[in-house]
Amino acid sequence: MTEISPKLVHTLSLIMVLTSFAAVEARNLRHATVAYLCQALLICGLLAVYSIENTALLYWAVTALVTKAVLVPAFLWRSTEGVPNESRSLIGFGTSSIVAILVLALMYVFTHAHARFFVQSGTYQAATPSTLLSIAETNLAVAFTVFVLGLYAILTRRDAIKTVIGLCLLENGVHLSLVSLAPTIRETALAGISTEVVVTVWLLLYIIGGIRDKFGTTDTSKLSELHW
Amino acid sequence: MPTVQSDVHSLLPALLVFVPTGAGILIFLLRRLSWTREALAFLASLFCLAISIAASISTLKGQCLIALGHQLIIDSLAALLVLLVSAVSFLVVLYCPRYMRHLVRDAAIPHSTTESRLTIFYGWLMLFIATMLWACLSNNIIMLYVAVEASTIASGLLVAFYWDRRALEAGYKYLMLLTVGITFALFGCVLVYATGSSVLGGSKGLLISELRKVAASFPSTTVALASAFLIVGFGTKAGIAPFHPWLPDAHAEAPTPVSALLSGVMLKVAVYAMIRTVTLFYPSFPPVATFVLALGVFTMILGDLMALAQDDLKRMLAYSSVSQMGYVLLGVGLGTSLGTYAGLFHVVNHALAKSLLFLAAGAVMYSSGVRTLSEMGGLAKKMPVTSFCFFIGALALSGVPPLNGFQSKLALFVAGAEAGAWWAVILGIVTSLITLVVLVRAAKNIFWGKMPESISVSTREAPASVCLAMLILAVLCLAIGIYPQAIYSPLEKAAGSVQTIFTATADTVAKH
Repeated sequence: MTEISPKLVHTLSLIMVLTSFAAVEARNLRHATVAYLCQALLICGLLAVYSIENTALLYWAVTALVTKAVLVPAFLWRSTEGVPNESRSLIGFGTSSIVAILVLALMYVFTHAHARFFVQSGTYQAATPSTLLSIAETNLAVAFTVFVLGLYAILTRRDAIKTVIGLCLLENGVHLSLVSLAPTIRETALAGISTEVVVTVWLLLYIIGGIRDKFGTTDTSKLSELHW
Repeated sequence: MPTVQSDVHSLLPALLVFVPTGAGILIFLLRRLSWTREALAFLASLFCLAISIAASISTLKGQCLIALGHQLIIDSLAALLVLLVSAVSFLVVLYCPRYMRHLVRDAAIPHSTTESRLTIFYGWLMLFIATMLWACLSNNIIMLYVAVEASTIASGLLVAFYWDRRALEAGYKYLMLLTVGITFALFGCVLVYATGSSVLGGSKGLLISELRKVAASFPSTTVALASAFLIVGFGTKAGIAPFHPWLPDAHAEAPTPVSALLSGVMLKVAVYAMIRTVTLFYPSFPPVATFVLALGVFTMILGDLMALAQDDLKRMLAYSSVSQMGYVLLGVGLGTSLGTYAGLFHVVNHALAKSLLFLAAGAVMYSSGVRTLSEMGGLAKKMPVTSFCFFIGALALSGVPPLNGFQSKLALFVAGAEAGAWWAVILGIVTSLITLVVLVRAAKNIFWGKMPESISVSTREAPASVCLAMLILAVLCLAIGIYPQAIYSPLEKAAGSVQTIFTATADTVAKH
């Protein structure tokens, strides 16, 4: 049986963090959608690599491909038609870069110190334990970073469509962490989780479409009909 | 003594999920036959109510109904919630036909006919009810998350139903905040599952009934992290402060029958999910309970203070719901048997009284066309039934005897005193007085005094079906207040189900 190459995992993970960051930072919403698409494809790639050790993950990779890399980007693409640039965000590129680097470093330290008891022994039975643990720790660090980046986008971006991209990143972070935390999870549960993301994104974009009609903008700071 | 229940395989849990789901789908499919909409919704909700009653009787006999290989279960706790959800849903469906037709006709929603809007309403309403029932029945910790999130999705379009600026803003906030919150709960569920299955092995770690046996052996870091995620996640959905900002917007902007469901039962389903998961850790990690208690007291006070400042009737009721959820958490956070009992008692009473208040508020808005308190007045003579019902609901929630709210608040305060949490009891009593001020002042503003000129002289009492739904709820509030013994047994058994968790985990602690 071939072993997972830690180098490959590390490279893919790093590129994925970069694409996530690009999805958050790209001012042009179409570019952000493309960056998100790349990020989703990289997740599928990572899942496919992990499936060398645990064949059940191949099913995950296919699910992720359909939901995250096909349906969600398609919805985003359709709803960004005629909205080239996002409304001004609260925090600029410089600060965001510093935040992203800090989060990644922090998560790396955290997972390498504490992740041992989270990580399921069943995931990577075939290969040598120390390499596998290191892969699992890196995977968790990256998953948590993507999660935090998504949350950051939701909190600091004013554009409603950008917050939806943030939400997708948030969900992708959770999904990726499942590989290390819950690899034996049932297909029904996994299908449930993936389907909900797609439906939520569709509904949110549908309502945002309505907001664009009525308010003439997708800038959430203009949504001021309801006060505390 | 913890309740010991025997497992019985049954079709009832599955039917409870599939019947309303099927009705929802049929309503969409048969959209051309407009008469089927109301009939299907009515029949399905009546059927759910009947099944819930049957299931409750079984659990009172000491049975625990299981279906689909332990994926769905009805124990005493689930039975109580299922009965509550299906009873309130049935009354809401009874309230809907005249009310919705009138409102949809007047709302002038673009690009759609009255009929198509009503199909959307009833279809999603049935799916919303189905997902709430599913959440109450799920024994699988990941599917519990899926069901709770599904109830958010199913109600998203109902919140934004009017499709105007206010409704769209509320809908966006509702979906976005709840989805983010619930994603935290997913993380929590996954952590519990990951740690649980490393002890139990394989997919057994998914079943809450199995997890409760081993929760005591979890490392304390995992417990702290998982409970924080679960409390934030399900707490957001339950409207617990400071995660509540979605709640007043959604409850105020949704059509009134939906507000009654959101406030009356959806919040309870979220608290139920919290009770199912977070209490797993009480015996081995008591700080979790203290945290829940503190959060409950904070929510209770903040909600009522915010309610004081509102002029919009439904918004005021929504903030009052925040406050009442604080009371429920107060009971659950005490971590004692009596505390859980009192918390669940308040769940039942708040569900009845708040649904009643929302339905009465809807009737007032239906007849007068006004929604702010400052523009109302003198409606008691024009709308005697609605006025009676609103007063019953307001006094019940404020804890005035002989109504149901008095019984559960008394139980809460006794439980608090027994647990030595005097500070919480005192704050609870003070907050109750604020509730009384808030709700009675609102009732006075609406029904007494002089009728302003902005309200038409021809204002009449709401239609009979609307009044009937309200009267049933008012009678229930009175009946439970006067004769609370009627529900002692189901409540004790339900609290006993949570207590089993305490005992089971305490045994494991002893073994370790």
